[in-house]
Amino acid sequence: MDKLLYLSMTGATQTMLAQTAHANNLANVNTTGFKSDLAQARAMPVIGAGYQSRVYAMTERPATDLSSSVNNPTGRDLDVAVQGSGWIAVQATDGGEAYTRAGELQVDAAGQLRTGSGLPVLGDGGPIQLPPSSKIEIGSDGTVTVRVQGSQARELAVVDRIKLVNPDPQSLSKGRDGLFRVNGGAAAAPDPLVQLQAGYIETSNVNAVSELTAMIDLSRRFEMNIKMMKNAEENATAAAKIMQDIG
Amino acid sequence: MNGALFVAKTGLSAQDTALRVVSNNLANLSTDGFKRDRAVFEDLVYQVTRQPGAQSAEGTELPSGLQLGTGVRTAGTVKQFTQGTLNVTDQNLDIAVEGRGFFQIALPNGETAYTRSGRFQLSSSGQIVTSQGDAVEPQITVPADATSVSIGTDGSVSVTQGGSTVATQIGQMTLAGFTNPSGLQAMGGNLYQETVSSGAPTTGNPDSAEFGRTIQGALENSNVNSVEELVNMISTQRAFEMNSKVISTADEMLSFITQQL
Repeated sequence: MDKLLYLSMTGATQTMLAQTAHANNLANVNTTGFKSDLAQARAMPVIGAGYQSRVYAMTERPATDLSSSVNNPTGRDLDVAVQGSGWIAVQATDGGEAYTRAGELQVDAAGQLRTGSGLPVLGDGGPIQLPPSSKIEIGSDGTVTVRVQGSQARELAVVDRIKLVNPDPQSLSKGRDGLFRVNGGAAAAPDPLVQLQAGYIETSNVNAVSELTAMIDLSRRFEMNIKMMKNAEENATAAAKIMQDIG
Repeated sequence: MNGALFVAKTGLSAQDTALRVVSNNLANLSTDGFKRDRAVFEDLVYQVTRQPGAQSAEGTELPSGLQLGTGVRTAGTVKQFTQGTLNVTDQNLDIAVEGRGFFQIALPNGETAYTRSGRFQLSSSGQIVTSQGDAVEPQITVPADATSVSIGTDGSVSVTQGGSTVATQIGQMTLAGFTNPSGLQAMGGNLYQETVSSGAPTTGNPDSAEFGRTIQGALENSNVNSVEELVNMISTQRAFEMNSKVISTADEMLSFITQQL
């Protein structure tokens, strides 16, 4: 059978996978703190006996676009956005430390500070626990100040400080739950230079125009691969016809 | 089947939810004491199609794998209990709370609900009730011969009766506060119910630093910002269109195969 058919088939399949990656970026165009995934194709030559004519395509996610996005004002005390580079440390469902840029924080009934998706936010020594309070303020360095219930307006208490980190972007990768972790599993050290902005949330950094353009590009590439499959079919038909004529 | 189709479907349903939240906020633009909602989105789990670091051949490792996201989901909606502006009505039973407290309302089934809407009236027996007729807790009955009712910023309710010029206190309003007001369950009718997530209420007299002051003759407006909601509506609509574009592109790709081969 003609190898061309199989080569085109993998090309088309891998293009579909890349299309899924772009579709996921577009689906998260309004997700707070979302970082868009990049997709690229790699050439994988088939190594073996004989002439190396076959090179398969392979789609992969080389990295995530970590660029900052626009911070939108919300006016809510517990909404925080990281200014510039930096991450908010949270406790992932597996108990380990992970990092996020989505700062839609909330307080649960037990007084624990959690993200919008319910993960505990980490402070200097583990998850941040707040006393019953009538007002919660988050400072630019992550300091959480509360007015404890029943106390006077001037009696503010500093409870904890949100752990803010800024590890080398090269060492970060996105996990299956969409949270970022340092490669190798070590926890990053707190960085005093990371600044928070209270009353703001960071929008998704997906560039809708480039994603849509990439989708068009991929869909045309897909069609070219299908065209090649069609050509393979025509070649085979022509060859069969010649054989029939001879016979 | 093309995975992009299903990923875009999650995007469409999330934007649909967002639009519903926006439209509910806009519909309640003039509802007294209404608190706006915000939809919270998060990305769905990633599927590891190819593990980074897997071996492509003996001795060579793939530097990066393929992890494909499966779309977006609505993690929930968050009510935003920011203070609404005060609207002076000069009705003596309109009471606004300036602060974080809630009025307590006794429901007919014996449970207590909480509200920020202080548009109160008197029942036939002189009791202070909501516009639905549910009594305000603690129950306060205004005597039939009262000529004026005044409610202080500390929640004390006093009346002048008959020809008297001296006001007598007939009751004390209390307010309730929650650790996590966003966790309250909205019941409709401007009422909220306590949940496990909101925590148990603490009650106390108004004017303390905790619950805020009661202001007679004013109502709290809805805290919906119409401009912000309209901008949200535009961005939601465009995001919806982009996701439907993904679906049509994926559909074209599939139809191209069936037509060509």
